[in-house]
Amino acid sequence: MNTIDIKINERSLKVLPGITILQACRDNGIDILTMCHLKGLSDVGACRLCLVEIEGINKLLSACTTRVASNMVIRTDTEKIKRYQRITTELFFAERNHVCSVCVANGNCELQELGYKVGMDHIRYPFLFPECKVDTSHQYFVMDHNRCIMCTRCVRACSEVEGAFNWDVKNRGFQVRVISDFDTPWGESITCTSCGKCLQACPTGALWSKDVVQGQLEKHPEMITELVEKRKLLLT
Amino acid sequence: MVNEDRRQILISPVTRIEGHAKITIRLDDHGEVDEALFHVNEFRGFEKFCEGRLYTEMPIITPRICGICPVSHSIASVKACEMIQGIQPAYAGNILRRLIHIGQNISSHALSFFHLSSPDFLLGYDSDPVNRNILGLAEKFPDIALKGIRLRKFGQEISQRITGKKIHISGIAPGGMAFPLLEENRLALLNWIPEAKETVQLGLSIIKKFHEENAEMVNSFAVSPTLYLGTVGPQGEHELYDGKLRFIDENGNILQDQLDPKRYLEFIAERSVSWSYLKYPYYKPLGYEKGFYRVGPLARLNVASKMKTPLAQLEFENFKNIAGGRPIHGTFYYHYARLIEALSSVEEAEILLNDPEITSDHIQTHGKWNYTEGIGCSEAPRGTLFHHYITDESGKLLKVNLLIATGQNNPGMNKSITEVAKQYVNGNDIKEGMLNRVESTIRCYDPCLSCSTHAIGAMPLQVEVMNANGQIIQRIERG
Repeated sequence: MNTIDIKINERSLKVLPGITILQACRDNGIDILTMCHLKGLSDVGACRLCLVEIEGINKLLSACTTRVASNMVIRTDTEKIKRYQRITTELFFAERNHVCSVCVANGNCELQELGYKVGMDHIRYPFLFPECKVDTSHQYFVMDHNRCIMCTRCVRACSEVEGAFNWDVKNRGFQVRVISDFDTPWGESITCTSCGKCLQACPTGALWSKDVVQGQLEKHPEMITELVEKRKLLLT
Repeated sequence: MVNEDRRQILISPVTRIEGHAKITIRLDDHGEVDEALFHVNEFRGFEKFCEGRLYTEMPIITPRICGICPVSHSIASVKACEMIQGIQPAYAGNILRRLIHIGQNISSHALSFFHLSSPDFLLGYDSDPVNRNILGLAEKFPDIALKGIRLRKFGQEISQRITGKKIHISGIAPGGMAFPLLEENRLALLNWIPEAKETVQLGLSIIKKFHEENAEMVNSFAVSPTLYLGTVGPQGEHELYDGKLRFIDENGNILQDQLDPKRYLEFIAERSVSWSYLKYPYYKPLGYEKGFYRVGPLARLNVASKMKTPLAQLEFENFKNIAGGRPIHGTFYYHYARLIEALSSVEEAEILLNDPEITSDHIQTHGKWNYTEGIGCSEAPRGTLFHHYITDESGKLLKVNLLIATGQNNPGMNKSITEVAKQYVNGNDIKEGMLNRVESTIRCYDPCLSCSTHAIGAMPLQVEVMNANGQIIQRIERG
């Protein structure tokens, strides 16, 4: 099998051509922070947490959307990257209304874990306090836009795995929102199959089931990955 | 021309609370106390910002109202949720919730008595405010202070052992509980019972000794005849967790009995006043002027016919004998009532911990949204607490009404402060000890803001005497 030589954090590695830097890191036990990445779904580089430095390129690139190239020299652990990760995390919290103490996902939240990982002890940016809706119209599920970080994992799980195309995105910049169908209440969606994959894909308390309360929420995003792998087996 | 006869004494802040409270004592033309007003100048907004949330989030959101009685909020809230779903909680989940609620009651009452109030009794009202706190107590009576601290710890340990958290717990869910009690934790709690009982009885001996030595003061301290509201069981027994409401009048006549809390709006109305964010609730059938009622330990013991546990029953009989079976109106007796409740709670905790179902895994029933309205009630350490939710047909909250214990005691507090001010405060001679008695009146009610009235160090206290033109003619400051 053909491999190429790259270097990550001074380690010389032989990796398959065409894979992403993120995959190269994960395959070789190099920790890298992500939020929008979910193995099995396409990558969109939305969260900006997996930024890496590449020798010869004067800007940071997202590891999930940048493919390895021969003799690439990559750094994932510089002070600059750590600083950016902290900034990015703080901006997640400042952009919407995240209140861990009363959130259904408290203790089972990837965003909360991220905060701990980057050592976020306070937020230096002014909170936007946007007025966000809580869509309770679905019979079983809730979408709370206050807690959404626009990773779009739900959108991709819905289209790429379930094939329902219920979720999409509207607007731009900080006004961007996940929408159901053509921005109708979720409970009125004609495409949603109520499969619940979006709930499993969601890294925060933005999407959850009505029958759980704080302390009972369990999310299994790996379920999405497993489904994708199993389908690949069916096709072979 | 400055009118120096019409004066106003301002005690502000009463304490460094989350928000600020102050007392204004208005004097008449002769320098005598006219009336005293207790102001709460803080706005929380829970009722408003909970609108739009899913109703099942309320048992987690509303406990954040208070760090001392969060469980009572969670219980009232979860009962409202169960009414919306139309379900009954699982037996084991229900007794676990009852146990956690008892734990909170023990913890809160221990805090109120040993940390906040006992320095007054053991060190003296007129002792230096710098030392009149739990640390001053620890210096002079280290054994009592330590026992008091451990009693509070026991109450919180109950929550910790069931839910993994001491204060703002999670796991109280519609239909019961999310977490079971493990056998090892049951045994650990059970082992603590004898020590907890002994400490409560120590507290009872302290208060009874104080009563004996200061009978005149105790019996004349803020004697404010009012109506009383409390929760009772089917036989009229004292109840904190589940039961029906009983209103009595100042002579002990039962006005309403076995009243379903869901009907609270038929009997309680609220009036806003311009000088405080705390509303003035009153017993509707008697109107605003005659309908002032009090809640909390004193009220609960006044309305109850008996206690559920043997040791508490003995103390209850002593308590009832004080006024010959009639309601006790002396505000000072809140402390005694609080300790009797603490004793009852420790005894009930022992009974629950010996219930074979307490470690059952079947702790939750499951339901879904069925009705648009839910009302839940619990007895918080400071009194009867109501949560009332209206939802749309998806379970989204359209309206939230929270009737909090301290709010219901607000008219009573004003009445008591006025009584004490008339007795102890002379407009021409303002002394620190006198003003502390006014402040300690508030502490009798253990209002939510009491947690820092005995903060470590001197209490921040500002007293201003103002004339009718608003000019300050005298000022006493400390802290």
